[in-house]
Amino acid sequence: MWIPIQLNEQSAEPMYHQIEVQLRALIVSGQLAEGTLLPSIRELAQTLKCSVITIRRVYQDLENEGLLRTKQGTGTYVAKVGDEMRDIHRRSSVIEALEAAVDAGVRVRCSDEEMMEMLRDILQRRRNANGT
Amino acid sequence: MQSPAIEVKGMVQKRSHFELGPIDLAIPRGYVTAIVGPNGSGKSSLFRCLLDLAKPDRGEIEVLGEKQGAFDNWQMKARIGYVPEENSSVYDHMKAEQKAAFTRQWYPQWDINRYQELIRRFEIDPSLKLRKMSKGMRRKFDLILAMAHNPELLLLDEPSSGLDPIAWRTMIDVIHRYMESGERTVLMASHIIDEVRRLADYIVFIVHGRVLGMYEKDTLLESWSMLYADTAGSKEQWRSMPGCHSAEFAGGSTYKVVTSNMIESEEWCRARGIHILSKQRLELDDILTAMIEQERLRIQS
Repeated sequence: MWIPIQLNEQSAEPMYHQIEVQLRALIVSGQLAEGTLLPSIRELAQTLKCSVITIRRVYQDLENEGLLRTKQGTGTYVAKVGDEMRDIHRRSSVIEALEAAVDAGVRVRCSDEEMMEMLRDILQRRRNANGT
Repeated sequence: MQSPAIEVKGMVQKRSHFELGPIDLAIPRGYVTAIVGPNGSGKSSLFRCLLDLAKPDRGEIEVLGEKQGAFDNWQMKARIGYVPEENSSVYDHMKAEQKAAFTRQWYPQWDINRYQELIRRFEIDPSLKLRKMSKGMRRKFDLILAMAHNPELLLLDEPSSGLDPIAWRTMIDVIHRYMESGERTVLMASHIIDEVRRLADYIVFIVHGRVLGMYEKDTLLESWSMLYADTAGSKEQWRSMPGCHSAEFAGGSTYKVVTSNMIESEEWCRARGIHILSKQRLELDDILTAMIEQERLRIQS
């Protein structure tokens, strides 16, 4: 099966990290449903043009987090994601993005008020644009 | 930890014009390891020693858990597939199917269905005489003969030379599928950067008969980088930067720096307030070139 993971070869983020973040998001968001059989390590390595060592590391990390489970001889499956876990992950990617935004603001010496105002502005604009 | 598929200890092979080694190397089971190095660096000689086609003067070689060279261990060799750098002209008069029937005798595990499947995938006409085959076609046929007995260990010496882009893709795919079970091992010598990128899990650099190092491919590619850094006028001791390979003045207060340790170099720059303007990963051939340079400097000093 094809999994929508895209690697940025020039990114400073190590490949395993890029893959792990994207795969985790796919699982936590429910895009990869519980029980989905993932490609074999060699297969995914081939698709993403990276080594099996990198993919093995990703699968192992996500298995340790309880997001994947491996059945001997049959392959690696998406595990059941609890609501609590889903919520933690749901928030964590947003928090990460906000942190990056705050860093960008601090670099150009924005005040807290300025940044809050920008956030409110953006929220307003997006909500209006989406009609929600 | 599984025992390695190939283990080489202190191997030296002396020739009048060339000395190979001393080489110490452990090729892990279940992975694709690529040997990369310039022409004449001893890759093919190493393959020949691994297969007991040539004898080293010193050192030990173990292949698939058995000592190589003590006697003609055909049972062990039957577990190996080998595509040599150049094929022998001895069989030129044979038809492909005759050569296959001949080769089959030496391999109890020969899998006729697998052979037929590969013949179809690579689009070989088995009734053709080997002499009549183009270089690329012959190469594909050699690969089929080396894989038809489902070997545990596949040794490929420049496997893709002469292949057209379509055949090349087929080869990459066939090797990936062959590796799928996770038990098998490939050791290949290659000049083709894209081939190494797509296939290899580990990379071994060999230069002038010596192993410069063995690396996990993704880690290697992630750690070598070229960056442009702005020192804002201060004099920097680039040599003290972790992993610094080279630093040259690039105009203004900017330097072009090549590092083999991207993460620590970045921290080093940050700690000194050096602004990194851009960074770019190096390709394998750039890394090889840089390593050869380092090796030359090391020998000179």
